[in-house]
Amino acid sequence: MTTTDDRRPGDADTLVDVPRTVGAGFDIPKARRATSPMRPSPVPPAVPNRAPSATSSRVLSRPDRYLACGLTVLVLAVLATNITGFPSATDDEGTYLAQAWAVQQGNGLAHYTYWYDHPPLGWIQLAALSWLPALLGWHEPTVAVGRLAMLPVVAASLLLVYLISRRLGLARWAAALALLTYGLSPLAVTMNRQIYLDSFAVAWILAAVALALSPRRHLWHYTAAGIATAIAVLSKETMLVAVPAVLVAMWQNGSRSSTRPWTFGGYASGLVLVGVFYPLYALLRGELIPGAGHVSLLGAWQFQLASRSGSGSVFQAGSGSWSLVHSWLYYDPVILVEGLASTVIALAMRRLRAAALAAALLAIIALRPGGYLPAMFVVQILPFFAIVIAGVIHHGVIGLSPRRHWWRATVLGVIAVIAVAGIVPRWYAGDRRALVADDNASYSAAAHYLRTTVPHRDETTVVVDDVLWLDCVGAGYRTDNVIWFYKLDLDPAVAARLHHGWRDVDYIVSTPALRQDAASLPTVTTLLTHSTVIASYGSDTGRIDIRHIDKETA
Amino acid sequence: MIIISLALAAFAAATLWWTMHAWRTPETLASTRFSAPDGDHRLTFSLLVPARHEEAVLSHTVARLLESSHQGFEVIIIVGHDDPETTAVAHQVAASAPGRVLVVTDHNEQKNKPRALNTALPYCRGDVVGVFDAEDQVHPSLLEHVDHAFRSTGADVVQGGVQLINFHSSWYSLHNCLEYFFWFRSRLHLHADKGFIPLGGNTVFVRTDVLRGANGWDGTCLAEDCDLGVRLSSRGAKVVVAYDSSIVTREETPNSLAGLLKQRTRWNQGFLQVYRKGEWRRLPGFGQRMLARYTLTGPFMQAFSGVIIPVGVAIAMWAQLPVGVALMTFVPVVPMAANLVFQIVGLRDFGKQYEVRIRWHHYTRLIIGAAPYALVLTVAALRAVWREYTGKRNWELTQHVGAHLGAQIVASEGRAA
Repeated sequence: MTTTDDRRPGDADTLVDVPRTVGAGFDIPKARRATSPMRPSPVPPAVPNRAPSATSSRVLSRPDRYLACGLTVLVLAVLATNITGFPSATDDEGTYLAQAWAVQQGNGLAHYTYWYDHPPLGWIQLAALSWLPALLGWHEPTVAVGRLAMLPVVAASLLLVYLISRRLGLARWAAALALLTYGLSPLAVTMNRQIYLDSFAVAWILAAVALALSPRRHLWHYTAAGIATAIAVLSKETMLVAVPAVLVAMWQNGSRSSTRPWTFGGYASGLVLVGVFYPLYALLRGELIPGAGHVSLLGAWQFQLASRSGSGSVFQAGSGSWSLVHSWLYYDPVILVEGLASTVIALAMRRLRAAALAAALLAIIALRPGGYLPAMFVVQILPFFAIVIAGVIHHGVIGLSPRRHWWRATVLGVIAVIAVAGIVPRWYAGDRRALVADDNASYSAAAHYLRTTVPHRDETTVVVDDVLWLDCVGAGYRTDNVIWFYKLDLDPAVAARLHHGWRDVDYIVSTPALRQDAASLPTVTTLLTHSTVIASYGSDTGRIDIRHIDKETA
Repeated sequence: MIIISLALAAFAAATLWWTMHAWRTPETLASTRFSAPDGDHRLTFSLLVPARHEEAVLSHTVARLLESSHQGFEVIIIVGHDDPETTAVAHQVAASAPGRVLVVTDHNEQKNKPRALNTALPYCRGDVVGVFDAEDQVHPSLLEHVDHAFRSTGADVVQGGVQLINFHSSWYSLHNCLEYFFWFRSRLHLHADKGFIPLGGNTVFVRTDVLRGANGWDGTCLAEDCDLGVRLSSRGAKVVVAYDSSIVTREETPNSLAGLLKQRTRWNQGFLQVYRKGEWRRLPGFGQRMLARYTLTGPFMQAFSGVIIPVGVAIAMWAQLPVGVALMTFVPVVPMAANLVFQIVGLRDFGKQYEVRIRWHHYTRLIIGAAPYALVLTVAALRAVWREYTGKRNWELTQHVGAHLGAQIVASEGRAA
């Protein structure tokens, strides 16, 4: 289409006419115009799209990366050494690993009926990592070996602690201090070795905080922070408590930024739209609302929030929470006491507030009277404690400004020497124990016995705790015939499989975990009274007995 | 089913991502604005205002244009030879500002906007041709900003922002306003960056030599603006988009749902025509060609998803699918829902930038109206395909000429009766 062919003769239809037609009054001043009318005036370099902050948008500088990776490798070495020997395997670890196994086998979300006790993403991730222990070819006890899968998760958390510390404005040495505190505190060494969903949740929530503090302030980073938060919460639901800390981090990072409302839109989208898949899963299975004959998500929540009996107050001697906190303090009082003190200080400091808020909220949940305090809850607090401890020390050192006067440097030196002298021997002792103790020998021996000595394993029914459950399944017992002791009394489906009640059971393995709860489980009690010990490992409370059921005595 | 779900999710996610382009980082947002003008007036402008049965608004629009703070511009009003009322108003306006305003009569039998613009092109004397609609409210300092933008970036084309303002008029106008907001505020900048841009219908400025070199507008295309953008892009013209809420050109939404439907059908059909013309195949980069293909077929993909996603979700809810598969059908809903979240944020931002109070019932309306509005868009897309393939390629006239069309229908019905 040309510009002229539609016009009729008689119009002003050529360009030549135009000036004549309109020229007289057409007054476009061009006095200030550059020499050539059709050329644009000299073009300055195009407006740069990137702001000066582009330089700081590098994830980490090279020395940072070497330092963080080097320290992480060091901590991983401490964690990996004797990981199967210490600490002793717990029933929870066995449960998570067995659930991961069920996911991997395509048996659904758990080795028993999944009743929405925890969101399943934690052990789904564990299942995805389970190739790692298999790679090494170690076998038993399965739970202790399965701990190797946690190493990459902890490694990610360690690196993120360093990254967050740097993004909170800490110096390199302070960030390294945070990493080492989180990595080498004997309590952390103990907890991080174990297979806990909390470790997955910690890695993801740290990722969310790191993304929320992203120096580029990219919308995608905030959306990813929302997704990471959702994954953290779906790995371990208690992480929901830490969400305000991520929001504070975003709020502070986005201050004086024109895009702040959008970043919150991105975060909310990521968080809600990933998180909603969990209730959606329940809905699609018809298990959202409580009803007769099926488990339900809301029913499980009601149980967790309302019916579950609390473990007493931390401040009440002898209560469950009290003894739990004391066991944490036994491993390492330093990180807990100092972390709590630093949190109080750090709440008042703008730069540290996000991390301090996370630590404070989690600590409040732990210390609230009357609530239920899970044994591994401290795993969630430790990285934030490490960050605020390092942050407060960093700001303390800056406040003291040792370069200004010799006495300031001396004071700092004395404090440092006292702190190191107080902490290092304690941590050395704690970590050394972790490197040499062999607390799982009894489990190992019991697993070996069940695998080699028990005859006709494919027709034998055993009742075990969850630590040995996977060992038995791996040893050739039929999955239906390996019964987690809880389920004898609590899962109607299991009871229905045993037509002759307890007499259908051939062996029961009595472990500390089983004996602890046996009083409230009648069938387990019956089995323990109608059985004789055929093999016993260890001594005292840590003893593991393999007992043969005496079917004739009833 | 899983594959379809994932494809739809990818499509929706990409659209969302591109829609959010301007808000990715504070720096991107800053770069989408006009830079402050230096006060120098070096370029001259010829502003084309095609007017058709718009005697009511024309004089006001031109009066606003004449208030421009820039020194070098002329206004060319294009009227139809069969439209004496508008012509009278146009001459009246021209008489009030001799030398600034020129009236050109379009003698084409079939009248449409690109033909009107082509009629005026030979008369343009400015360095830059700008296009406005007769109902536009143009900010006085716009030309100054555009002048500076041309000079500071070396652009061949500058697209300014256009914004529908009357979000409170009806349920669909709220969505329509936000659509414009996201398109001009954000998405067009992405297109300018990538070197493929479907231009908007007004507040678009092109260097006169470049425009003449491209032979003006395509008089047969229903989306002449989009077509021009595609042709200029494929010739490697440099396009700059700038949006500033203070100097944006203000417009109003179509005044009825039917009007909106017709307008959207015309645009969609225009996109389809541009797609079939295939000029975009000349774009140098593969990525550009993919973006072109994606953008030009976008409305139809959107229509397709609008139908298929609810069906998928319904199947997931009521048919006995494995839970994993059922969950997958929900994946495409995620970017759509995220889009709604961003629209809520966008509405808030819109309210702040245009200093209008957004109340809770506007947000409610936004959420409730999202599905019906998507339905309207779907219908428009299907209608466009139907019209294109049945060969109905006439300029389906929106509101101003719609009255004229309605009168004809009434007349013919009267005769039939």
